[in-house]
Amino acid sequence: MSDFLLTQIINYGAPILGIIVFIGALGVPFPGTFIVVAAGAFSRQDILTWHTTGLVALTCVVLGDSLSYAMGYYAREMILRRFEGSAQWSQAESSFNRWGGTSIFLTRFLITGIAVPVNLIAGTSKFSFRQFILYDLLGETIWIFGYGGLGYLFGTQWEAVSELLSNISGLLLGLVLLAGGTVLAIRWSKTSAAHIRRLKQSSRQ
Amino acid sequence: MTPSRQRTLVLGLILLGVVFVGFFGLRFFRAFREFRGHRPPPFPPADAQPAETNVELIRDWMTIGFVSHTYRTPPNLLYKALDIPPRGNEDKSLQQLNDEFFPNQPGYVLETVKAAILANQPIPTAQPPENAIPPAAP
Repeated sequence: MSDFLLTQIINYGAPILGIIVFIGALGVPFPGTFIVVAAGAFSRQDILTWHTTGLVALTCVVLGDSLSYAMGYYAREMILRRFEGSAQWSQAESSFNRWGGTSIFLTRFLITGIAVPVNLIAGTSKFSFRQFILYDLLGETIWIFGYGGLGYLFGTQWEAVSELLSNISGLLLGLVLLAGGTVLAIRWSKTSAAHIRRLKQSSRQ
Repeated sequence: MTPSRQRTLVLGLILLGVVFVGFFGLRFFRAFREFRGHRPPPFPPADAQPAETNVELIRDWMTIGFVSHTYRTPPNLLYKALDIPPRGNEDKSLQQLNDEFFPNQPGYVLETVKAAILANQPIPTAQPPENAIPPAAP
């Protein structure tokens, strides 16, 4: 798959890169970081022009993210039918409204594996679209121009850079899952301990 | 959420986290060790980008046009080495060319292109060091 995409980029340039990052932003598992670093290296080799390619890719990825936000937004009714009124749903919604900006920003370039779920949650929890676009644009600019810039800097050695960045992203995703699981475990054990205490007190009375 | 579902979710998250950390941690460690040996190549003056010379960087996804641009080798020389016509093959990768023209010889196109580029590279001439002391006059 990656080889096929790279051949298409060197043949057709920025429009293909734009289509790839757009589809990737909708959840199709394309190797986005790998492709962006490669595009940076191709710019150094004068195969692509860095500014046009960067702008096309940035526009397309932001459009893709907005579309997946919209999917979450319009799926809200369906999700609410199942979870509305539950304590967990309100908790998740308020947590996202508090930490949403940071999550959107960091998942654009650092923990890219959960970028699409974050877009969907942002839409579902009615996180402000203006703020979503702001954090999205900031994060994606780092992804396109920062990672692409590393590809540009390392030129024909871009594969080593890309390998490193992809693995950092996977490692961070693992750490986030581990931390999430631990936090939930602690929170739920505290809640159930308090519940047991209340039960004991009421039985004494 | 029922306590048993909570337990399953927490265990699932922790287990998935451990698998990801283990898998990507090992890959990251390996990639980092390899990456340490790489340094960004120096930026040459404008319109004087030097040709790449390391043929081990040629990959199956590259096209003849891309290879000829990167290694500053005329594309016709590569097509001639492969004995295939340029027309209609410009957009095909080396792998596609191999599958189409040499299906019984895996890797033939890649190796032939590498050999043709090596044969076409100028032989490096020794440069005197900048601070060389000129020979004493007789």
